[in-house]
Amino acid sequence: MTTTEAPMKVVGKRLPRVDAGERVTGRATYPADLTRPGLVVGRIKRSPHAHARIVSIDTTKASALKGVLAVVTASDFPVIEPGTIIPFGETGADAWVSALTVIARDRVMWRGQPIAAVAATDAYIAAAALDLIDVAYEVLPAMMDIEAASARDALLIHPAMKPKGFDASILAPRNAGGRTVIERGDVAAAFASATAIGAIKTVIDTAHQGYIEPHACVAEADATGFVTLWVSTQGAFQTEIQTAVLLGLSHSKIKVIPLEVGGAFGGKITVHVEPIAVRLAQICGRPVKIVMSRDEVMSGGSGPAAAARIDVRIGADAEGKLTAIEGRYVFDSGGIPGTPTTLLMQASAAPYQCANLYLEGFDITTNKPRTEAYRGPGGIQAAFAMEQAVDELALTLDIDPLALRRRNLAVTGSLMPIGTPFPSIGLTTIAERIAAHACWREPIEPGRLPRGRGLAFGYWRGTSMTSAAHVTIAGDGRPMVTMGSVDISGTRTTMAQVAAEEFGLAIDDVHVAMGDTKSAGYSDAAAGSRVGRTMAAAVSQACQDALGQLRVRAAAKLQSSTDALTYASGVFRTSGHGGGSINLFDLMRSTLTEGAIVGRGVSTKLPLGVEAGAHVCDVEVDPETGQVTILRYTAFQDVGRALNPVAVEGQIEGSVSQGLGWALTEGFDYAADGRLRNASLLDYRMPTALDLPQIDCVLIETPVPDVPYGVRGVAEMPIVPVAAVVGNAIRRAIGIRMTQMPMTPERIVGELKAARRC
Amino acid sequence: MKTVVTFEVNGEPREALADTRDTLLELLRDRLGLTGTKEGCSNGNCGSCTVLVDGEPVCACLVFGGEVEGAKVLTIEGVAASNTMHPVQAALIKYGGTQCGFCTSGIVLSAVALLRRNPQPTDHEIRHAIAGNICRCTGYGKIVEAIKAAAVDLQEARL
Repeated sequence: MTTTEAPMKVVGKRLPRVDAGERVTGRATYPADLTRPGLVVGRIKRSPHAHARIVSIDTTKASALKGVLAVVTASDFPVIEPGTIIPFGETGADAWVSALTVIARDRVMWRGQPIAAVAATDAYIAAAALDLIDVAYEVLPAMMDIEAASARDALLIHPAMKPKGFDASILAPRNAGGRTVIERGDVAAAFASATAIGAIKTVIDTAHQGYIEPHACVAEADATGFVTLWVSTQGAFQTEIQTAVLLGLSHSKIKVIPLEVGGAFGGKITVHVEPIAVRLAQICGRPVKIVMSRDEVMSGGSGPAAAARIDVRIGADAEGKLTAIEGRYVFDSGGIPGTPTTLLMQASAAPYQCANLYLEGFDITTNKPRTEAYRGPGGIQAAFAMEQAVDELALTLDIDPLALRRRNLAVTGSLMPIGTPFPSIGLTTIAERIAAHACWREPIEPGRLPRGRGLAFGYWRGTSMTSAAHVTIAGDGRPMVTMGSVDISGTRTTMAQVAAEEFGLAIDDVHVAMGDTKSAGYSDAAAGSRVGRTMAAAVSQACQDALGQLRVRAAAKLQSSTDALTYASGVFRTSGHGGGSINLFDLMRSTLTEGAIVGRGVSTKLPLGVEAGAHVCDVEVDPETGQVTILRYTAFQDVGRALNPVAVEGQIEGSVSQGLGWALTEGFDYAADGRLRNASLLDYRMPTALDLPQIDCVLIETPVPDVPYGVRGVAEMPIVPVAAVVGNAIRRAIGIRMTQMPMTPERIVGELKAARRC
Repeated sequence: MKTVVTFEVNGEPREALADTRDTLLELLRDRLGLTGTKEGCSNGNCGSCTVLVDGEPVCACLVFGGEVEGAKVLTIEGVAASNTMHPVQAALIKYGGTQCGFCTSGIVLSAVALLRRNPQPTDHEIRHAIAGNICRCTGYGKIVEAIKAAAVDLQEARL
């Protein structure tokens, strides 16, 4: 089924989400909506300082308050040493990072880091109890950006940590977490002989993923100590593993039940409140619910996306053939080191063929909240620099920016930045489609104010890791699918489409559920653009496994051999003339008690479904106010195959919306002492319906070989080019190259004033 | 301190024992179990807790529970008539206007209020009506399409 060219009946159709009815009626259950008999409220006390030593914590008065059932501090959790590697994705993760994210021990690295927590009979008592916890701090100087933290005399935030990736020849900056290099050819020589150079130095502010649902969970421990944890997470098993390790519990003693997720975008992979809720529940013997406030989410309770300083230089010959790319990517990890720079560096250079590369990445620890993933982590920041540098090159060479890129785009088999050949990639098809599209061919509509059109390409590698699913067959013959991955993007719908396709049934005849960690097979988190692809492979395999078992039963019923049976649309038939047939309903009704049918599917290390795309955007800039209006926005993306085009467009439109937010208005404004000055959704300005145009999506389908249905990753790439395309459009509108992100009105006005002074 | 609030929710008379500090949002969610109304920010910025009080859209987090004494409140649980979706709900499903769903209750109530006072809104009027409802997943385009389609459906139903 999965490799045939036969037209598909369910996969690829514009079907509504199977769970949409629950969402539009308010019945979908998120952890904050859950109640349990005897439920009590958990609340977290957070550090008011960005950098401090915890001298003492006195919980006596809080514990004595009537209605307070439990108070915990770091001393109620096992000590987790750095380097405590737990199974997690491709490389594992350090549980020490999760531990410090959950509760501070001895020292505070950012404002808002948890210090203590209480469980109480109601929220008002819990809030009063937090005020009764006395914490004495020795306040240390806060280092609130890369420059301050890497200064020669900067205090070390983690004195015992050795920076990784440095050797004797390179002096590590202060508070460096690590260094990575991607290098090939001879960049210096290539620049020396280059005809033209495009260069930019960028500064990018910290931003937030901005999910509307604050972190929430409910924890309960039974009389035997078995823990049940209801969560909003991108990975049920990842929550189980982290919580188990952080509490010193066995994995088998925790069941994590994923409920609906009200947005995540990378920020709900690490645990935040979950281990605290479990510890409180264990102590007080009652179920505990913790729900973060918006202020907690923004002010250090959950990790924002990394600020960065990125410098890029690109050299080309007179014909516009790229000869050298040099990039220096410095990322702000926040309070715990470890922002990975390798993937984002690769991603920024990946769209182009270039013989000489030198990409160097660092991460610097600062006293901002520990950063977390955000939709193609680092991709939008890196592309903001790279794709604007490409645009500068086009201006210098006076070549059309699409033509310049078409001379250099990577093709299937050309070398990726890391030196291995590209798997199937549709960049040249994307360029052809742009060239033919009205958004590029038609001249920009004239207006009273300056207008400009931008172009930027994007790439994201994504990942595969592992996904598991199983299928049972109900007594009426209908397939029931249980997935080990959570659904943060419509996975139940697309997997229902896959299962329906495999069985030749209508989508309404299959059921897909998220399993919990004791009823489904281990699956990695819904992250890295992996779930649609790898879960489709697992579900397809599980369905075929179940169909194989059904075939044996059907053959017995029809007194035939399994080879002689055909199967289509829910019916087994014997092939000979006048042969019999049996449908799944009759087959299961007559054989249900002969034993369960359980089809099993596991996808591991599926070939990558690299994501590529390009965006075109027209803007209008008001030089008086600096206001940027997006007039038109078109997103081209090679999606391999769209399992459900509505879902794919939803991912692209949402990515563009988030990208436009960071491009134009979203940036955290930290005071020198570490306070976040725009911690509300009024001041941290995410796009509203009035800020955005209708976003047009152009889906291109270049299937990935050896991947069921040829699916590519979808959901991360489309945020990558957004800030760059807006920057390029602004440059074309007003002649100013914006180097700071977000490109706020005041920054644009400031640049225009500076330009007039020159 | 506790107080009894008597009001009408989704057409049914209700009495709720509330803390005087409870907001309408807490009254609905914690005291009456109407958890379809969501809390995204608790200071009126995100619109997830939008409900109609005497027909007007308000952020339930900005109103004290005691303030709705005697009022008629419509929450997401009361928008669909028994098992028949309101056209706004049906259209959001059809056009892909709900993703994570956390903002959806508020969007539905804002749209229902809009179409009551303005049965044939322009795109801009739709965008203006939901400008107080932040959606982080969709980019709003499919929501606007859905509300536009719902307006047409409601017009046709009236004819």
